[in-house]
Amino acid sequence: MSIEELCKAVERGDQEESKQIARQLIDGGVNPLNIISSLTEVMESIGDKFSRLEIFLPEMMMSGDAMAGVVQMMAPQIKAGEAGSTKGKVILGTVKGDLHEIGKNIVKLLLESNFFEVKDIGVDSDPVKFVKEAEAMGADIIGASSLMTTTMPHQKEIIDILKDQGLRDKYKVVIGGAPTSQEWADEIGADLYCPDAGSAPKLMAELLKIKVR
Amino acid sequence: MRVNTRFQNTPGINLLTDDQCEEIYLAALEVLERVGVMVYNEEALTLLKEAGARVKRNHVILPSYLVKKALSTAPSRIAIGNRNGERAMFLEKGRVYFGSGSDTQYTMDIGTGERRLVVKQDVVNAARVIDALKNIDFAMSLGIISDVPPRSAYIHQFEALLLNTAKPIVYTAGGREDVETILAMAEVAAGSKEKLEDNPFLICYAEPTSPLVHPREAVEKLLFCSQRRMPVMYVPALMLGATGPVTMAGALVVTNAETLTGLVIHQLKNPGAPFIAGGAAPALDMGTSLCSYGSPEEHLSCAFNAAMARFYNLPSFSTAGCSDSHLFDQQAGMEAGYSILMQALAGGNLIHDLGYLGAGMTSSLEMLLLGDEMAGIARHILKGLEISKETLAMEVIEKAGPGGTFLGENHTLKYFKSAVYYPGLLNRFDYVRWKKEGAESFYDRATRKVREILKSHPPSELPSKAAQEIEAITAKIDNTR
Repeated sequence: MSIEELCKAVERGDQEESKQIARQLIDGGVNPLNIISSLTEVMESIGDKFSRLEIFLPEMMMSGDAMAGVVQMMAPQIKAGEAGSTKGKVILGTVKGDLHEIGKNIVKLLLESNFFEVKDIGVDSDPVKFVKEAEAMGADIIGASSLMTTTMPHQKEIIDILKDQGLRDKYKVVIGGAPTSQEWADEIGADLYCPDAGSAPKLMAELLKIKVR
Repeated sequence: MRVNTRFQNTPGINLLTDDQCEEIYLAALEVLERVGVMVYNEEALTLLKEAGARVKRNHVILPSYLVKKALSTAPSRIAIGNRNGERAMFLEKGRVYFGSGSDTQYTMDIGTGERRLVVKQDVVNAARVIDALKNIDFAMSLGIISDVPPRSAYIHQFEALLLNTAKPIVYTAGGREDVETILAMAEVAAGSKEKLEDNPFLICYAEPTSPLVHPREAVEKLLFCSQRRMPVMYVPALMLGATGPVTMAGALVVTNAETLTGLVIHQLKNPGAPFIAGGAAPALDMGTSLCSYGSPEEHLSCAFNAAMARFYNLPSFSTAGCSDSHLFDQQAGMEAGYSILMQALAGGNLIHDLGYLGAGMTSSLEMLLLGDEMAGIARHILKGLEISKETLAMEVIEKAGPGGTFLGENHTLKYFKSAVYYPGLLNRFDYVRWKKEGAESFYDRATRKVREILKSHPPSELPSKAAQEIEAITAKIDNTR
């Protein structure tokens, strides 16, 4: 079994096989950090392929699940800090009045599989909650998702509250969700708009000026 | 007259047999009894529990006898008035009405095609154009107003409609408070609470969150409208393969389970209160992640749910006249055209979203005019074939004789306007005349006509005292939020 085969299994989205191969690799003495590094490249290329319409959403999600399974399994093997520190801390939630969470959950999965630390504050989250949780976590990014044109104004409210409390420069505010757009991000003064889940890790890493690799 | 003769007088499509409807209904009942639903509203949970549902925190298992009971008390017809106190729409089996859409963030600027955020004047303009259009029967705002405080945007949208068109209004609202305010404004326009109750001219829009979740605000709206016996619709919008099964039958099971849950809550609160069903299951494009308003699945699902509503004997809400295109282009015309004819034939009562571009993100008055024209054509087609002595025209056929002409006949003069559809926007000039008249494209003509309407259609205004009172209500809301 080789790292290449593991990469292929993750690309196929075969979680069981991915875990099995990863287990064999580790038992055979392969450095977990090398595995992680290769898988990160795979996930990046999957994100790119999705952006180019070469693969479809369910395929990308299956790969993300497979990747997450491997990372979870290897967690005990990777000593704290060894895998390189986290790329950034993110508070992630769906805004008030909105109970849609599929998109947010995909973003969470992809961020975690790209070594962001994510705290998911769930759906129907009050703007104040986003800010409080960010303060508590010491987050770098506040990510707010909205699927309905009627709940989008709550993304703006998060920014308004940050301004009111003099915290605006402390956090990068990232927005996403089907009805949102770059224009909307500009309009409300968000730091970043992510057009799809596949691009989120890369764009958010760039926002924090961290090299993706 | 001949005995024992059957004619089909009006055409229509019914995409489901009664057995198929029953299959979907039974599966929805099984979902309600086996999987259950989430309800985030205390009053609804109490009502459900007292009625016999098993409630554990927010999770509700709904026994099917509650659904059966709700279906037996819900009215199968709802009469909707207009602002002038006349009857305007009868939401009864087989009657179709067309209307605009509501909550788009953007609008396409008239003439320039530039996409920009919606401001209040856009909704005022939309209301005036809707008021003037012959085939648009009810008004929705065609935008979320961006230049007012976000928390009172719905109130401003309703005010802009109420003060500028006399046609029935389907309104969106944040929650119970908004509905209370909007009903207070409607009472002013109607003249009194009683007059409004006797002939309501407005319908509240509420929607569950698929799959099987009933949010606090949506249920609040259901309960409050039920209590006031004001019409409300409960319309699921499920994305195939994302917020519901990717296969249509499964998607219909989920949307029907959602609608029926809303109906049960609504009828428990006040049996006999007016409730409108509906729902769509558009495709989520798995490549681009766009929720498609022009997809055949969107329009099939609406036609299926129109059939389900007929099966339940409930009035229904449907969707057509909208496009995924960001331009007023061939795709927009094609998607609006086929969907309007298809939904008209499918027979859902309230067909909304005429005037939508950009997959529900952008409104366009040119697109609304296209929808109005297409609705006119659809209505003409729905007339079907009338067979009578007059329409068989035997006398005039004999009179003209072989090789004769019908142009000068009284029969032609009498019927040429009703027998033939005359378009308002479509080109019917020959090439030379078309060139001479300015060689306009359809888009050019639509823009010109929108501008003409805004300039010359006399606005349907309320008496100034009532208008001022309504504006004062809006101002008060702005100040308290």
